[in-house]
Amino acid sequence: MKKNFKAISTKALALTFGIGTLFSCVSDKDSPGLEWMPDMYRSPAVETYVDYGWVKEEVNPEAVMKQSAKHPPLATIPYQGKVEDLEMYLPYHRKASSFAAVTHGLQEKDGWRLTTEEGDAEYNAAAADKNPIQLTEDNQKSIFSDGKELYEINCAHCHGEDGDGKGSMVQSGAYAGVPDYSNLKDLPDGQLFYSIYYGKGMMGAHAPLLNKKEIWTVVHYINKLRFEDYGAATPQKVETDTTVVVEDTVQ
Amino acid sequence: MFNMGNKGLFALVLTLIMLTTFTSGAQEGESIFNSKCATCHQPHKDMTGPKLFEVRQKWEEGGAMEGSLHQWVRNWQVAAATDPYAKEVSSWAASSMTTFADLTDEQIEAVFDYVDAQPKEEAVTPGDTGGNSGTSTPVEEESLGWVWYVLGAVFLVLIISLGGTKRQLQEMDEDNDSYIKVGSKAWIFKNRKYVGMGVLVVVMAGVVWLFLGLYQIGVVTAYQPSQPIAFPHDVHAGINGIDCKYCHNSANKSKTAGIPTTNVCMNCHKQVQGEGDQVEKIKKIYASAGYSPEGGGKYSGETENIVWNKVHNLPDHVYFNHSQHVEIGGIDCKQCHGDMTKQNALPRVVPVEELNEIEGNIQLTKPTLTMGWCIECHSEKEVSTGSLEGKGGYYDEIHKRLLENDESLYEEYLEDGKVTVSELGGWECAKCHY
Repeated sequence: MKKNFKAISTKALALTFGIGTLFSCVSDKDSPGLEWMPDMYRSPAVETYVDYGWVKEEVNPEAVMKQSAKHPPLATIPYQGKVEDLEMYLPYHRKASSFAAVTHGLQEKDGWRLTTEEGDAEYNAAAADKNPIQLTEDNQKSIFSDGKELYEINCAHCHGEDGDGKGSMVQSGAYAGVPDYSNLKDLPDGQLFYSIYYGKGMMGAHAPLLNKKEIWTVVHYINKLRFEDYGAATPQKVETDTTVVVEDTVQ
Repeated sequence: MFNMGNKGLFALVLTLIMLTTFTSGAQEGESIFNSKCATCHQPHKDMTGPKLFEVRQKWEEGGAMEGSLHQWVRNWQVAAATDPYAKEVSSWAASSMTTFADLTDEQIEAVFDYVDAQPKEEAVTPGDTGGNSGTSTPVEEESLGWVWYVLGAVFLVLIISLGGTKRQLQEMDEDNDSYIKVGSKAWIFKNRKYVGMGVLVVVMAGVVWLFLGLYQIGVVTAYQPSQPIAFPHDVHAGINGIDCKYCHNSANKSKTAGIPTTNVCMNCHKQVQGEGDQVEKIKKIYASAGYSPEGGGKYSGETENIVWNKVHNLPDHVYFNHSQHVEIGGIDCKQCHGDMTKQNALPRVVPVEELNEIEGNIQLTKPTLTMGWCIECHSEKEVSTGSLEGKGGYYDEIHKRLLENDESLYEEYLEDGKVTVSELGGWECAKCHY
């Protein structure tokens, strides 16, 4: 009798454990669990962030654990948008200071262009550069709102939403030494651009994050934070002027 | 007596004047320091420029010429040309100091007075507020608790029925000792009611378990792969308030959200070197960027890759584009990735139950990252005309054409008060599979 009882219970136990172990691998956090078609999750098709050194059974030792998100080839121009903006996507004509390789990690092998001269000559020369995005009455609203969006994503955590240098990073005590824009009122647009593009002091180069058009848009928005009355000529005045002229001609 | 009083009054006035001038001098020093120096210098910490605490003593001990420190502040090149100590100092970092030609001797002294008056804090606390990363809360695994209850009930039934069988057998045993020797087949036949029920229960349990298991295939909500650096999202996105799209820079521009390269990390971590267990983690960033923080910081140019493990992995036959959802659809990151401002543990696929708890999220029922989950959201999410202002007006045009072509269809769509993604073709197979 005992034997029978044992046999039945062991069979039942074996069955339940058998089925249990089939699916128990799901609890391993390093394993994504069972997949319907694993080769569809790691396939030879080119996708970002996939290790192409090991596809199915084939191992390519040269590509194992190499970066799969590649840089665009050197001297290619990432062009998007309108033909009028094409100039925006051409390379920046100013080079980084020669010491930027050491202070900001801008290496020539990664495609950064550095001057051979000592010192800040290029930065000083950048003072003469003008913002190629012209503010007009029609576009200033959208430029400022685009600039605000970019500023809040990329700048505000250090420089503060109002540009007072008291961003959330500074308030939390993690970071210190962010300048207040109101102390930088005589900084020309061109140098503002240069500093964002190649970095300055503790700030790193932001060219990998923002393209030239975006940086110039942010420059417009920073100017709006620096100067209260920044913008194209105030629209109301011009409108009243033209109506007066029209009325005059009619009369 | 009168004279004494006069003297005392005089001394009081004198100290008062001295006090006020001193405090105003300190205030001037503070404001000059904050507006001109603090971008590169800190009192107790090397940044772009060296720390300034007791820098006057340092120069004196170093054998600097008198007045050359002031000359350095006004124009470091002039000082470096005349004073060998200043020349030595100029090699401290590769970048050069800004010139402040308009500062007077008094102002410079006021700045140094202000800096020397700063208390020496043993623990200047960059990122200290995030020091709780050591006590990471264990992440709840998705539990199938009710399955265990069902199984428990099954086993209970099994045990009771077996117990009943045993008792019956014992009773029979008392009646007839020889009965057991007949063999198991006869025993099963004799007790076929109980054995049949038991087998049925076991088979049913097996089938239920099998189907539950099959439903788990392709569901990745327990996936939380190990990473080379235990990156605390709550410190970065929560406490320090960094926007998701600063680091995941291409989420609104491209198909993939982007894993930040270490030069993005270095934008802050050039200064933030961490403390406690953070130091080791941040050293991994420095190794990757080829950076050494000593002496104002130097990049060697020798970089190495950090190999992260991808958490959200869709099969190859699914096309998913981040920019379409983030930029055009205006979906918040937390709709799919959960509230990363509170995520202290490693990134994972957040179960749908937790996603539903987040305020503002569309309520869904199917497991995260499954197709059911996608199409459920496509049938819930409203595509409004207003949300796309300044983004090209593509959906404005779609709404307009719908209204022009077939108004009754448009009204049918609007019966539930919204035009959803699926009604604009978001359930078309070829939207995601091609």
